Amino acid sequence: MSADVSDLSLVRRVQRGDKGAFDALVLKYQHKLVKLVMRYVRNPAEAEDIAQEAFIKAYRALPQFRGDSAFYTWLYRIAINSAKNAVVSRDRSPIDYDLDRNNPDESYDMQGRMKDSETPEGLVLTDEIRSTVNAAIEALPEDLRTAIVLRELEGLSYEEIAASMDCPVGTVRSRIFRAREAIDRRLREVFEGGLGRAEELG
Amino acid sequence: MNEELDSQLSAMFDGELPMAECELLARRLSRDEQLKARWGRYAVIGASIRAERGVRLNADLARRVSSVISKDPNIAVRFVERQAARAASKWIRPVAGLGVAAGVAALSILWMRAQVPGETPELAQVIPAAPAAAIATSTEPDSYVVPRPSPRPSLVPATQLANYVVAHSEFSSPVARRNLLSAFMTGEAGTAGASNGSEEGSENVYDDAKNPAQ
Repeated sequence: MSADVSDLSLVRRVQRGDKGAFDALVLKYQHKLVKLVMRYVRNPAEAEDIAQEAFIKAYRALPQFRGDSAFYTWLYRIAINSAKNAVVSRDRSPIDYDLDRNNPDESYDMQGRMKDSETPEGLVLTDEIRSTVNAAIEALPEDLRTAIVLRELEGLSYEEIAASMDCPVGTVRSRIFRAREAIDRRLREVFEGGLGRAEELG
Repeated sequence: MNEELDSQLSAMFDGELPMAECELLARRLSRDEQLKARWGRYAVIGASIRAERGVRLNADLARRVSSVISKDPNIAVRFVERQAARAASKWIRPVAGLGVAAGVAALSILWMRAQVPGETPELAQVIPAAPAAAIATSTEPDSYVVPRPSPRPSLVPATQLANYVVAHSEFSSPVARRNLLSAFMTGEAGTAGASNGSEEGSENVYDDAKNPAQ
């Protein structure tokens, strides 16, 4: 089994007009896509804008997506093209120092987004999330920690993890779930105590 | 929250849930905001473990994308059009396929008939000559002459046509195919009867239809 199966079921729902299913795909892949785009642009806010554009392009093109390739592979190609186009158009256009005069709304919006991603609060929250997750992982029993790390860091399938941990696939599934639950309990506190973003993500 | 449901969600996030369960859970996931938030946090956990530097873990991309999509009416229209086209194609394809198959079969039969050497010129010579001959012999009493059977078959052998139909049977419906084969069989019997009085030809049709490889 692969991620294609679950992605495909979400994709099919989107193709039937269910926008909520697309939210789930964005939530799942947003970090990977931003990280990918950051190979082309350094600015995190710009990377997020390009990733957002890639998601919207993907949504618009989704009626034509036939599932011949994995959804993420397809999305990946859209994001790469969007990033390359953004770099080319940025290099072509001279730096406009009069943003405020030409388009005050856009200038304000861009500054707002840059502030949002680079403010001490934003950085602190990201750091807090990271340290919370790391602390929660450290506190996990070894079998749960190994299972979740092999899955998330090494990208192994359940079958591969079962082989390396010498246990049934069902046990792997249970260990990964319990690890996630333990981490999520801590993480929820950060989200709810921080910006209260957990329920807004959808 | 239901623990089994969360366990399924975790497996689905990893692409390790069977397809049938995925379908059901995807439906619920797209509607249940709490489940979606949990799904989003699973993604944050993965990104944290992978230490994706420079990536904001509290990014609100999903909300931004969702906001843009919901404001774009053209996208919704495109999805509806696509769905309608898909529904229409379900009916159009078989009907069009049947039509094409019937057309090809009819053209093939006409073409094969036209390939019989000497058939058309002979008719062309005989038909105009007939009224003149009738006028010339108008003094004689009316009589009916049974035409002599031609020494060569006037049509393409029915077995050949039947072979053709069987070889292309994937493009025709069983009923149409059976009708066509019956027509050939009858035609062969008539032709064979006129030429040599036996029914071997019609038997061959059945044999060839049963064993197209022969």
